[in-house]
Amino acid sequence: MMLSVSNKYAMRSLVRHGRRTILSVVGIGVGCGLCLFMIAFVRGESKMMLRAAAESGAGHFRVVPAKWNETRENDLRLIDWHQARKLVASVDEVEVVTPHARKEVLLGFGTRVAGVEMVGVDPNTEQTCNRLARSVVEGHYLDGEKGTTVIGKTIATRLKVEVDDELMLTTAGADGEMAGAMLRIVGIIGTGSRDLDATICQVNLQDVEQITHLSGAGDLTALVKNPKKLELIVKSLSAKLGTGYSVVTWEQLMPELASGAKVDETWTRLTVGIIMIVVFLGIASAQLTAVLERRKEFAVLSAVGMKGSRLIQIMVYEGLVLGLVGAIVGLAVGVPSAYWIATKGIDFTKMYGTDDMSVSNILIDLVFLGDFGWWLVPLAFALALTATILSSLYPAWYAAKIDPAAALRVEH
Amino acid sequence: MMTNVLVNAKDVTKTYQTAKVEAKALRGLTLEINESDFMAIVGPSGSGKTTFLNLVGALDTATDGSLNVLGRDISAMSKRQRADLRLHKLGFVFQAYNLVPVLTAQENVEFVLELQGIGDNRFNRAREILDKLGLAEFANRRPNELSGGQQQRVAIARAVASNPKLVLAAEPTANLDGENAEVLLQMMRDLNENQNITFVFSTHDPRVVAHAKRVVTLVDGRISKDETKSQTKSSL
Ligand SMILES: Nc1ncnc2c1ncn2[C@@H]1O[C@H](COP(=O)(O)OP(=O)(O)O)[C@@H](O)[C@H]1O
Ligand SMILES: [Mg+2]
Repeated sequence: MMLSVSNKYAMRSLVRHGRRTILSVVGIGVGCGLCLFMIAFVRGESKMMLRAAAESGAGHFRVVPAKWNETRENDLRLIDWHQARKLVASVDEVEVVTPHARKEVLLGFGTRVAGVEMVGVDPNTEQTCNRLARSVVEGHYLDGEKGTTVIGKTIATRLKVEVDDELMLTTAGADGEMAGAMLRIVGIIGTGSRDLDATICQVNLQDVEQITHLSGAGDLTALVKNPKKLELIVKSLSAKLGTGYSVVTWEQLMPELASGAKVDETWTRLTVGIIMIVVFLGIASAQLTAVLERRKEFAVLSAVGMKGSRLIQIMVYEGLVLGLVGAIVGLAVGVPSAYWIATKGIDFTKMYGTDDMSVSNILIDLVFLGDFGWWLVPLAFALALTATILSSLYPAWYAAKIDPAAALRVEH
Repeated sequence: MMTNVLVNAKDVTKTYQTAKVEAKALRGLTLEINESDFMAIVGPSGSGKTTFLNLVGALDTATDGSLNVLGRDISAMSKRQRADLRLHKLGFVFQAYNLVPVLTAQENVEFVLELQGIGDNRFNRAREILDKLGLAEFANRRPNELSGGQQQRVAIARAVASNPKLVLAAEPTANLDGENAEVLLQMMRDLNENQNITFVFSTHDPRVVAHAKRVVTLVDGRISKDETKSQTKSSL
């Protein structure tokens, strides 16, 4: 189709005031690029935090005994964890699932003691699910051998123990009697966080069963491939597992992290909103100037019968063109910077001069990486077009109100 | 020959109400404009010429009295209806700023056709009109590449593009030198005679008055003289 005269008119009016148009486009582009960069960073950060949280032992979701939700007691066990594990593992979206059985214990060596939550694990799957379990700095990880344990470095230092030392473990058994066992240290875990290393004591699941006289696992912890689908996965799993089991998500397990992510998101939206409002006002004022300059022109066009709706259409078309070009400039600004933050990231080790990067028992990454993807493109166009089209509305309305009778009046 | 009345004004008054003052621009004006008139409205500054043209051109509405243009009662029409009347039935030529500066002569004419909803054929139609008026060589030029006289001729081409019965021209020759004014007036006179288009001018220009077949003089918003000449300049 041939470009209509109206559209030619709009296009050429933009070209005619090239300098103003370029400034507008640069304004939109920079604002839009800035927003893309911010969103890329915050998206990456919250993805990273979620992954860090999930991989620090919490998982994306857990299957727990139904009663656990009320009491949160470590002594509760799943009805049939083998069966439940098979069911969870059969879900396509689940990447890995691993069982846990927890128990508060006292570790003793010589005259020194340390209280800790002992976690019984399946050594075969735990390491794929838990980045803490991957941070063995001395010895090796659990390999299934009975009566062995890996402990955090802080505990090891406190107890003055090393690999191959035997720890004396005491706890309250199921019957309320004192129970005990000897555990040989096979590995020491150093995550880089002293606080986290004070909480780690992992043993084979079977050993926990034996020590506590409680058979089975207290929870199944799972990671999923795409956390965005979590809600759906959880819903269908809950239905499949039936009563007696409950599926809890990371958001329920770590509400402070979930609300932290919400706060971040709200801040980002607010900032993006403010940037876009500034862009919006800038474009609106440039467009209004463009209308005021063309007052006489519009009056003549209106006098020969052009309707207000057509004038609005022309102004909005101008906004559309500004928006499209602005979005491209925005991408030119935003894509390289988003790419930079997604690949290089921001290194917090240098910034804080610390290697202790744990926040409420989550081992977080030292380098914050942004998110990067095709989503930047539609977002750039959505931001730029919304700002420019909205900002042409008032000038357009103003143009449509110009009195056609003014065309006949001349300044003598 | 029966004359056809295109515009019928009866006791038309127009009062401009601004915050402080009330300006009585027209004070009871009664006038008929007939088909194939070639009429100049003259009078001192402030006598109401522009105001009258605004009303006849459906650009504004009268305060009182009745005004009928091409069979339509202007005061009973909505803004939109008046815009439609201007677009389809009337032609306009202004003193200046007639043409859209970023469009070529051809596109300026096409623009009006496009506004009328003429789609495919508008390029050829615009070209035809420019050809017929001897403006073909200017078709691809923008207004700033045309002289004032050439611009006004393109403005006439645009005004008659929709085959209007009535063309209203506000001081069309005010910015033109003698020769250009002459060419322009001759062009309108031809359209008037050959295509039966009625022209109404508001003017100070004696050159226009000399060409006019009918001269209406306004004083203080009233008609003080209405003379029809038996002979005009071009028929001398
Ligand atoms: N928009 C307006 N607002 C207020 N007064 C106006 C307006 N237009 C015209 N007038 C007044 O109406 C009178 C007639 O003006 P006008 O029709 O422009 O006369 P002319 O064209 O003969 O010079 C003048 O007194 C003028 O000041
Ligand atoms: Mg005047």
